[in-house]
Amino acid sequence: MIRVLAALAVGAVLAVGASVAVVNVAAPTPEPPNRPLYNYGDK
Amino acid sequence: MRTERARALAPAVLGLLLGVLALGPALGPGFVLRYDMVFVPDPPLTLPGQGFPRAVPSDLVVALLSAVLPEQAVQKAILLGVFVLAASGAAALVPSDRLGPRLAAAAFYAWNAYLAQRLLLGQWALLLGVAGLPWAVRAAALGGRLRLVAALLPAAAGGFQAMLVSVPAVLATAATAPLPAPLPAARVRRVGEAALILGGLSLPWLVPALLSAATTDPAGVDAFAARADGPFGVLGSLLGLGGIWNAHATVPGQDSWWSAGVRLVLAAVAVRGFVRLRAGARGAPPYWTGLAAAAGAGLAVACLGPFAPGPLKALIGWWPGFGPLRDGQLHLASFALLQAVGLGGVAAGPVPGPGAGPAPSAGGPASRAVAAVAVAVPVLVLPSFALGAFGRLAAVDYPDEWRRVQAIVNADPAPGALLSLPWGAHRAFGWNGGRVILDPASKMFARRTVWNDELLVGLPDGGRITVAAEDPLVTEVETALEGRPEDRVRALAALGVRYVLVHSGDNAFHGGATVFQGEELRLLRLGHPR
Repeated sequence: MIRVLAALAVGAVLAVGASVAVVNVAAPTPEPPNRPLYNYGDK
Repeated sequence: MRTERARALAPAVLGLLLGVLALGPALGPGFVLRYDMVFVPDPPLTLPGQGFPRAVPSDLVVALLSAVLPEQAVQKAILLGVFVLAASGAAALVPSDRLGPRLAAAAFYAWNAYLAQRLLLGQWALLLGVAGLPWAVRAAALGGRLRLVAALLPAAAGGFQAMLVSVPAVLATAATAPLPAPLPAARVRRVGEAALILGGLSLPWLVPALLSAATTDPAGVDAFAARADGPFGVLGSLLGLGGIWNAHATVPGQDSWWSAGVRLVLAAVAVRGFVRLRAGARGAPPYWTGLAAAAGAGLAVACLGPFAPGPLKALIGWWPGFGPLRDGQLHLASFALLQAVGLGGVAAGPVPGPGAGPAPSAGGPASRAVAAVAVAVPVLVLPSFALGAFGRLAAVDYPDEWRRVQAIVNADPAPGALLSLPWGAHRAFGWNGGRVILDPASKMFARRTVWNDELLVGLPDGGRITVAAEDPLVTEVETALEGRPEDRVRALAALGVRYVLVHSGDNAFHGGATVFQGEELRLLRLGHPR
């Protein structure tokens, strides 16, 4: 029973954290660039 | 019987569902274009150029498949196949007959920061090797030449990076897995066979690599060294399977305390679970030592770039063959698999000691609850990987003028290369949502395409690291482009250039006859090919 409760508690905490993370990243992104040349990426 | 089959297929189905969730909008009509992931309409069957054969034989495999299937379907099948193969393979390595632990391992291996970041960097060919890795490890542990060849086929199709992540795990497993007759000669034979198979399947890219005059710039060590993508530094990022060099290839929100923290905790739990597998009633799984060695070696290589760049640069300067070590985070694939199997072990519950019977709660409600949470944990820890990492992956179609230019060039029987301008490797088109991609011209034409394979990597202070071009012809073309405008066309034609593809808004190149003019592209034909 303790394992079940612990698993459910972990799942619930992660679900709350995941919801917050999703809400944060779902915000609108800035206007994308349109450039003929671009970096491979940034550090 | 039907229940058994359903249980056997469940990890693959879970992988498919996770793939659908992760790719989301990328599964719609169109091509998914991001960084190194460049699929094009009507891909030509071409042989490798003079640079390092990075897309060999993966581009050829795509071109062959596209001859019988729509190109877009080929891309989506490959991307979904990565998830299915990864999930089913990780599940097959879990030493438990119960479905829950196997599904937990499947979910973790198909949904983790490593796979997400490499997908966001467009490295689908590498991911073929990553997805096939558990099957390759299993084959190396069980023995059997045909089994190993079959397990390594995805990596062989992916090319050099895919084989690189497979080699250490396969060799280490072959060298350490128990044998029916533990004779030294049998051990040497098994390792030798594995090495021959790995070598044979690597020939499609190994031969062009050795024949090419490509060089590797040691500056790539700084450019592609693992970086901290969260508050726990480089090592903390790597332990949580993050740390990719490109800040734009991270999953949104990955750098937060929450995401980095739970990934680190999950990594610790998973590693502990893997260590405890050794103490199980069945003893350590046959791949245990080999996978542990490969994971440790991969983590060590990933640490080289940020913590010991000097020796790595010296190695690459001495022999360009050490170049693949510069992107060290890539070598974490075995560590990701170790964590996946470890999480499966945790979901299996307390490990009974040698000689003990089955765990009393095996298959009970407690085990089911733990397993259900373990299956959901990877997704909850990295939820923003869903829906194409919230739009970072999406399907778009090429503007019609790209296809028209491709048709003109590919219909011309006259020899001569195509030069792609502006003189840089990467583009960020508005029609692709501003996602950065390798110049599509590098893969569209059935003739030699000359493009600047010099790589530019931005730094946080606004500076840039330049990683020198690998193709020797690039240097000659660059010299011609820097010459006097009136001499350029003649110099390029002398180098064998027949076509120049320029951005319509770029007026830096003059000369030649315009054979196509569109809103975005202008195609010029030069006089006399060599």
